[in-house]
Order: sequence, then structure tokens, then C-alpha cells
Amino acid sequence: MTTLSVNHVARIEGHGDITVDVDEGVIKRITMDIVEPARIFESMVVGRTFEEAPLITSRICGICSANHAVTSILATENAFGVEVSQRTKKLRELLVYGSYLQNHGTHLYILAAPDYVGLPSVFPLAETAPEIVKRALALKRLGNELCTLVGGRTVHPTTAVVGGFTSEPTRTELLTFGKRLEEAVRDAAATVELFGSFDIPRYETKNDMLSLVAADNYAIVEGEIHSLAHKWNRPVSDYRGLMQEEVVAHSNSKHVMVDGKPFMVGAIARVNNSWDQLLPSARVVASKVGMRPVMKNPFYNNICQAIELVDAAERCAMLCYELADSDGSAAPVEFKPREAVGYGATEAPRGTLYHTLEYDKNGIVTAGDVITPTAQNLAGLEADMRAFAPSILKLEHDEFILKIEQLVRAYDPCLSCAVH
Amino acid sequence: MRPNVVFLSLASDFGCQVQITNFPELLEMLGTFNLSYWQLATSAHMPDEYDIAVIEGACTTKEHVELLEKVRATAKVVIIVGACACTGGIPSIALNGDLEEGLKLVYGEAAGKVAWGHIPPRPIGAVIDVDFKVLGCPVNPDEFSYVLQRALLGLVDNVHRETMCASCKINENSCFYAQGKVCLGLVTAAGCESFCINRGRACTGCRGIAADANMKAAREFAAKYTLEQEFLNGLEIYNSHAKGLVHDDSFC
Repeated sequence: MTTLSVNHVARIEGHGDITVDVDEGVIKRITMDIVEPARIFESMVVGRTFEEAPLITSRICGICSANHAVTSILATENAFGVEVSQRTKKLRELLVYGSYLQNHGTHLYILAAPDYVGLPSVFPLAETAPEIVKRALALKRLGNELCTLVGGRTVHPTTAVVGGFTSEPTRTELLTFGKRLEEAVRDAAATVELFGSFDIPRYETKNDMLSLVAADNYAIVEGEIHSLAHKWNRPVSDYRGLMQEEVVAHSNSKHVMVDGKPFMVGAIARVNNSWDQLLPSARVVASKVGMRPVMKNPFYNNICQAIELVDAAERCAMLCYELADSDGSAAPVEFKPREAVGYGATEAPRGTLYHTLEYDKNGIVTAGDVITPTAQNLAGLEADMRAFAPSILKLEHDEFILKIEQLVRAYDPCLSCAVH
Repeated sequence: MRPNVVFLSLASDFGCQVQITNFPELLEMLGTFNLSYWQLATSAHMPDEYDIAVIEGACTTKEHVELLEKVRATAKVVIIVGACACTGGIPSIALNGDLEEGLKLVYGEAAGKVAWGHIPPRPIGAVIDVDFKVLGCPVNPDEFSYVLQRALLGLVDNVHRETMCASCKINENSCFYAQGKVCLGLVTAAGCESFCINRGRACTGCRGIAADANMKAAREFAAKYTLEQEFLNGLEIYNSHAKGLVHDDSFC
């Protein structure tokens, strides 16, 4: 028996190892070991106030902090029965899309692209292909600035609170930013073309794909849970009954199943499930590189992220103009805490993120639950690793490992989220 | 010769590293040092020798303690970034409850199988000597760049001793206490230009307790608005590791 292992897989968010046991040419075991230390956020929110809970859970992840903050706020508002203004809803959508631009931009160019051009990192590209690095930084910067415009800063939004926003962008800021977003659609489309031109490994997953969906919108902040394979819809408040969490010995992150089976969440699940809600420009760009539902190759998750960049840039430009030209306020609305349990869900860049917060009558948290996209993806990722590995076993050791890592990175795991 | 810099992270949300990648000068500054190891951005391996170690995160496992000791023995300069590293930050909230119970709440009866070598969270300064601190949750990229340049030039740390209240006044904010809301700027280290308060949000204390903070006076001030308990509870978010100090009047 030979054991191949990768200690601290590079270019992923967090600390994870890969272990592969091979016996006489047959793979006996293949695991993604999450060695990121346990962080016990669900116990740390207990006893904290409703104002502190979103601040604390936002710190689960510095990469998708906007999502954790908004999801926690939604759960709290759901518990207290808070109705927020349309303006607040739109600003939250912008904030979450800001996180898409940041995350997809970073993941595609800095974390994933080096695999496809045979480099250890993006840094050498600064000399050989400066226009690509420039485009990467421009998209990431746009996301950073959108998060700053709405949330006050690029990481851990400070203005988003239960009930609304403590400050909001001015009309001029929105108009100026809308223009910049419009201009970015071209960079986003070039990203789809770039990833569409790469030599992508051939493989099809057997896993189902879940995401939020909505009748009238590309579901990001509100919606129902949808299954690609089984076509059912379930309300967000059902998620704890729907999903089974289990502790596995090789990982500080729990694994999550639906009906005992692994599944996938993320850009590919959303593009598959909400294809009709994508803006026409995004669908056109996608079709040009041969992408249309149903996509079952998890490596396509990268291209789907790029497709979402096109959609997000154009959609956010429209949102900025809409907000600039409409009245109303996003100032926090009045509400009273009450003893209740609340559920919240958003589509984070890596997939559906669920928060539950239980409160006593004074608005103090009595229990909390968080299920992150990466925790949902881990069982599916391992299933895909097991199914994909035999087809590449004939490769040299380093190449074999690199291909497995490439699959891991296509899933875009976020391990600090996974262990939370 | 250009100094070798390594980036490491312990228990954290990676937010400070993300902030650092958000600063556009990084690519230009790469010319002044060798980025020898950064797990987040490149697949190159951790070298045995390096000059400057930049560390994010709180120390929460036995493995972290060993790593920190090794790093201290190797690096000429240690820079710690973010609240987790500087004060114990959000992870140190766990110190307010029973750690075993917390693990059990999250992992159930299987708690013993996972979370190997977990120890009570502590800031890096509680384990090894550090040369530079970049405060905040998350750090401000400009502040990081300033500190890194000081380190590269061989200077010493230039810490803010004073509290937030002065910068808050300069920025012409009105006081949250007058609205009956608690604000931790009374004792929190300055240096962020009262960032959150300028945006309508009370200070949550992410920069830790200032060296010049007068805890006794701050508690009395909060008590005048019947907010003393809320003030002390609020401090737990980022300062639970220093809680003994917070409640000990001799700290004042």
C-alpha cells in the first residue's frame, strides 16, 4: 500500500490536506482532511446580543464576510418579525454581489488559473501576461470598492445591521459606481472566454446540485431551496430537517448529506438552477464557450463563476442606477426583540449559506446553527475525488496530485467557513 | 540582499490576509522583499530560513504553540496582524464558557474524535515575543503597509497608546452614550480614525484596550448612562483574554 499525501493544499482558503491510499494500482481510500482548527462559533454566539451575533458570525470568514453578516441579520429579522425597506433589500443584494466580484475574481485568477497555465502562483504572470493580472486586480478591486460603497469596507461590513444600514451611499456615488460596473462587463466577459479556452479535464459528477431559486430574480438573498436532480423546492426554514450533518474522523468540518447522499452547491448549481434568471448578456457569453444547462462537470464551476461575474456586473450597475433614481431610506427600522427562532439563507459565492439564531425575549442568543457551503460540498468533493482519481492514476505522481488538487480548487473550498 | 518574508495563519477567518491582498502596492512592494511562503497565494513550500514572519490568527492548538516557538527562533522580526493575533479576538469569546462544553455543543458526542490538541484561545503575544502589531478586525491595508515598511527599514513599532475618543471628536461625531447606546471607543486603542463611528456604528473594540485607557473612569462614565454592564459585556467580544485586566481596577 502506498500513501500519497499533500500537506496544506495551496491556493485554497484555509488549511486542508489530501490523503490517497493506493494498493497495487487500486485506490483504497481518498480523503480531504480539514486540519483547520475547530472554531466553535455556534457555541460562541450563545449569550450574545442580537447586535453582536451578526458581528461575531461575520468573522467566520473574511472572504465571504458580507454573506455571513447578511445571513445572520436575515435570521435575526426572521426571528423578530422585522420588515425592512425595499432600499435595504437592494443594498444587501449589492453587498452580496460585491462579495461575488471579490471572491470569483480572486478565486478564478489568483487561486485557480495557475493550474491551467502550469504555474505555482499568479505572480510570474505579472511579467509574462500583465494584461491578465491587470484584469484580475481590476475585477477584485471593483468588488472591494462595491463592498466598501455599501458596507463601509472590503471585509466585515460595518454599516449592515439588523433592520437596515447605519449609513448609505449618496446618489452621486451610486451613479459613478454604476458606470464603472457597466464598463467591467467587458472584463468579466473576457474572463469567461479565458476559462472557456482552457483544457478542462473531462468528468461528470453523479451528485445532485442545490441552490436557492426565485421566480422573479437570480436568487441571492432570498428564495427557496431547489434540487436540480429531483426538481423539488423547499422553504429555507426546512433546511435543518432536510440536511443531515455528520462528524467524520479525518476532518474538523462536518459533512452534510440530503437523504443520505452527497450534493454540490456553488456557481455551477446556481447557473444550472437559475439559468433562465441570468441576464441575456451572461447567457450569450456562456453559450459562446459552449456552456448551458445541464452542466455536470464540477471543473465547470470555474466557468460558471466567470458567467456570474458578467451577470453581477451588469445587474449591479442597474441596481446602482435604480437606487440613485429612487427615494426611500435604508435607515434601520424600529423593532422589538422577542423570544423566537429565526432562519436566514443567502447564496454565498461558494453556495448556499444557512444561519439559525434562537433568541430569548431580551434578544439574547440561546442557540445558533450555521451550515456553510463548503461543509455541504465536502462529502460531494470526496465522492468526486474517488470517482475521478482512477481515470488519472496512470499519470506521474506529481501530475496525479496536481489534477486532484485542481479538482479541489474547482470546488473553491473555504476551510475556515467549513470548520466555523 | 532582499529579506525573505513568510505569511502564516493560525485560527482565523483569513480576513486580514484578504485585506492585505487588497492593497494594490503589494505587487510593487514585492520588489523590496522575497515572498518566500504564502499558503493562500502560492504552492511553494515553507522554507527553513526567513527574516520576517507575518502571522495572522489566534493560538488555539498545541500545534500552534510549537509553530510559534519555531518561528520565533528563526525569524529576526515577527509581525502579528489582526485582532485574533493581537488580543485573542473573536476566538477568545470561547474563554467565557467551558471549552469542552463548547466543543460538545458543536461536535456532539464525537467531540473527542476531532478538534485535536485544542487549547484555550490566546493571543500570539501570550506565547512568544512579538516585534510589531497591526491592530483591527480586519486590519487596515494602509496600516499594514506602514508597519511592513518600518520592519523592512529596521525601525521599531510605533503603537497608538491613546484611546479612540480623541479621533472621534476630531471627526466631529456625536457621542453614542448621549443616545443611550454603548460605545467601546472610551477605552479602545486609536489608529483607525474612528472608522466605524464615522459610519454610524458604535465602536466594537476590535483594536483592543489602549495602553493609556482609564478603565475606572470609563466604567464610571458608562454607569452614568446606566450602561456599565453593557460596556463590560461588549468588551468581551475582542478582549476576553484580557478580561482579568478589564475587571481588575488595578489596571486603571
